[in-house]
This record gives sequence, structure tokens and C-alpha cells, in this order.
Amino acid sequence: MKKLIVALLSVAMVLSLAACSKKTETSGSDLDYVKQKGKLVVGITDFAPMDYKEDSEEWIGFDADMAKAFAASIGVDVEFVEINWDNKVPELDGKNIDCTWNGMTLTDEVTSAMDCSNAYCRNSQIVIVKADKAEEYNSTDSIKELSFAVEAGSAGEEMAKENGYTYNSVEQQSNALMEVAAGTSDAAIIDSLMAYAMVGEGTDYADLTYTVELNSEEYGVGFRKGSDLVQALNDFFKTSYEDGSLLECAQKYGIENSIIAQ
Amino acid sequence: MKQLPIVIGSLNIGFLQTLKLFFVTLIGSFPLGLIIAFGSMSRFAPVKYISKLFVWIIRGTPLMLQMMIIYYFPGLVLHNNIWGSGEMGRFLAASVSFIINYSCYFSEIYRGGIQSIPIGQEEAGLVLGMTKSQIFFKVTLLQMIKRIVPPISNEIITLVKDTSLARIIALQEIIWAGQSFLKGSHGISGAIWPLFFTMIYYLVFSGILTVLLGKLEKKLNYFR
Repeated sequence: MKKLIVALLSVAMVLSLAACSKKTETSGSDLDYVKQKGKLVVGITDFAPMDYKEDSEEWIGFDADMAKAFAASIGVDVEFVEINWDNKVPELDGKNIDCTWNGMTLTDEVTSAMDCSNAYCRNSQIVIVKADKAEEYNSTDSIKELSFAVEAGSAGEEMAKENGYTYNSVEQQSNALMEVAAGTSDAAIIDSLMAYAMVGEGTDYADLTYTVELNSEEYGVGFRKGSDLVQALNDFFKTSYEDGSLLECAQKYGIENSIIAQ
Repeated sequence: MKQLPIVIGSLNIGFLQTLKLFFVTLIGSFPLGLIIAFGSMSRFAPVKYISKLFVWIIRGTPLMLQMMIIYYFPGLVLHNNIWGSGEMGRFLAASVSFIINYSCYFSEIYRGGIQSIPIGQEEAGLVLGMTKSQIFFKVTLLQMIKRIVPPISNEIITLVKDTSLARIIALQEIIWAGQSFLKGSHGISGAIWPLFFTMIYYLVFSGILTVLLGKLEKKLNYFR
């Protein structure tokens, strides 16, 4: 019995030691680390029109294409890895990935946990309802009575919280859309870029539509704290905006109106 | 109809990951389980208690949690990401977590099997001048194997479905693949029917396993 207690205590001590050890900022140059490794590992989710697959197994989309171009510009290969978006900060800090480049909204939470690039794209949080109820719920007042579905940890959830709406958190923005389509929630709050692509006539959600815009926000790319890749990417954005290749890429995916001048 | 080949292709890729994880787990945890079983039956008290403590911790905490800790702890706290970046690292971390977790369950099944063999047989072996390892491999093991097939089968079928837990560290197994069409992937979104296809993959695979394990049980129907 004594031995068991000793063993238990030692386990508890090891665990508490682990809890004490402080997170240290990345030492040395992140750019050199990536160059030496020879590849930039980009953490993404399947999110049209930023990072997605169409007919082949290759990742395409505005962010995917820009990431490929950026990696080429610093002379390394690019590898896309699908991650659990909830775990993006530990994935970065643990060096499982080198950046998150997936239409990431620059919230306070994000900018305090990572070092982010300049904003490159505008977005808003938009309310999705059934098309036949769109006229009834087209103002911030009228939607107060609805029950919302939002993605856990997303900017949409923050908006719902801020405005005091009743909401359910689901795993993904698309699940929030499903909830509305299935009638299990009255409305959803998702990214407008996604809404333009996925909702309305000619899409899989023809009987849904978007109404009220709740805020406006900006997309950026996230890196580890203290990483010099941020500066490298900002420079890359600047040159590719000036030579027009950034806008050209945006046009390919129909988001040229949302691009922010660099 | 155009969507069907896309979905099937995507599910096949995911199912391959599921199968890989399934077989790697079995190959790793069968022998490791035996070692832990010997540990918890050891007459040397520290080994016995450490084994028992280990089994308690692993069986007493969720596999999902263990996987997250095994995957993120080295990089975040020790600043040495032993898994490397990319998908291979996720697979390795998931395999290690599954092997550790399942070997603990297997070890208890082994222990039950070994201890169910009457002690008189071991005593008889000793009288005949056999060594301990001779007794284990020539007398106990064969009888133990046939007795543990039903409970091991149970764990194997559970393992088929548990592999889906690996999605927590973003291993792209079959449910990840099936669910991606809900969110939108390859131009298909809001589709729930791929999930039914996913179910069929699981059903067929566990059906095949049930038949095979049933056959094995019949084959081991000796010593009656």
C-alpha cells in the first residue's frame, strides 16, 4: 500500500512539473528552420474557396495557391496538412505545422496566441436563414428571437455571444448550415465568403439565404510567436500585390472584391 | 451520380488509413499485452505494482485524451517534436496511443486466460522437471489461447470503431473522409449520404472479422 502511495505521488509530481514548465518563445530564425527543413508545412481545413480539393487530390484555392507561391519564393516545398481547427495553436507551437493559412479571422484571441501577417482579405459574419423567412428576419432586432447554430470557437460564436443570442455550438460552419437546412436551428452565423459560395440559388443549399451582416473582419496568416516568417510573408504579399499576381489569383476564385491592398 | 466515384474514392483513401491503424495496433499490442500481463503477475512487487498502476491509468482515462497528450506533449512542453510534421507524424502518434491503450486491455484478458489454467498443471510440470518457460509455452499457452478468443474478438471489433477517435489529432480516417462532404469537399457539400456509405464500410469489415474470428474459434476447438 505504501509503495502504491509513493508511486501515485511521484506520478503527480511529474505531472505538476510538466504543468510548471513555461512556454518559451521560438529561439533562432523560423525562416532558417523552414529552409533547413526544406518544406513549409501549412495547416489548413477543407474550406472553399480558400483551401479545397476539386477533381484531383491536390489542394487548390486562393490560400493554397498563394501558399505554394510563397513557398516557392523562399525556395522550399510546400506541404498541406488538414488539422483540427480547434487545435491550431498547439499544432503551431509544437512545430507540427509552420503556419495556419486558411481564411483565418484576425480576432484578439488569434493575434494574442500567434504572430500574424498583414490582413489580405475582408470578410464578415453573416446570418443564414431559410429563404422563405428572409424578409421577416432582415434586421438585427428581428433575429434576436431565433435560435442560432455557430461553429465552436469561430468568430460567429463570438458575435452570437456578444449580441446575447441563444445559440448552439457545432463542430464546423458547414454543420451550422446543415442545422438550418434540417430545421434543428432557425439560423446560422458563418463567414460571408463561405456563404456567397455555398448558399443560395444554384448551390447545394438553394433554399437558404443570407440576410444581416453582423460585423466586418479581416483574414490573416498565423505563425509561431516571434517568427520571422511573418516579415517574409508581408514582403511577399507586397511584391505580389504590386505585380498583380495576387489579384489575378483572387480573380480565379471569385474573391477579388474582398482583397485588401498591400 | 457523378458524385458517387468522388465520394467512394475519398472514402477508400480514408478507409485505408483506418485499416492501417487497425492492423498496426493489433500487431503491436498482442505482444506488448503479454509483457504487461507477465508484469502484473510478477512475484517481484515493484514490477507488479508499476504494471498495475500503468494498466489503471491507461484503462481509467479516455483514449482520446491519451492521444492528444501523446501527440502534443513532446512538441509543446519538451520542445522536441518527436513525431515530425505532416501526416506520417499523426499516424505514428495515433499508432503508439492505440498500441499502448489496447495492450493494457489485452493484458488483463491474457491474465484471466493464464490464471484460468488449473495450478495443478504447473505443479505437474514442475514434478516432471520442466522449466517455467517450457510449462508456459507447451502447457499453458495453447489452452489459454482458445479461452481468450471470445473476449479478444470483442476487443478487436471495438477497435475497428475506435480507430475513428484518431480524428482528434486530425488523422484522416474514414469518418473524417465521409464527414468532409457535409462541410464541402471536392465540390460536394451538405451531403449526408456519404455517411451511410461510411457505415457500410464499417459493417462489411466487422462482418468479415466476425466470420473469421468465428472460424478461428472453431479451429481452436481442441482439448475437449
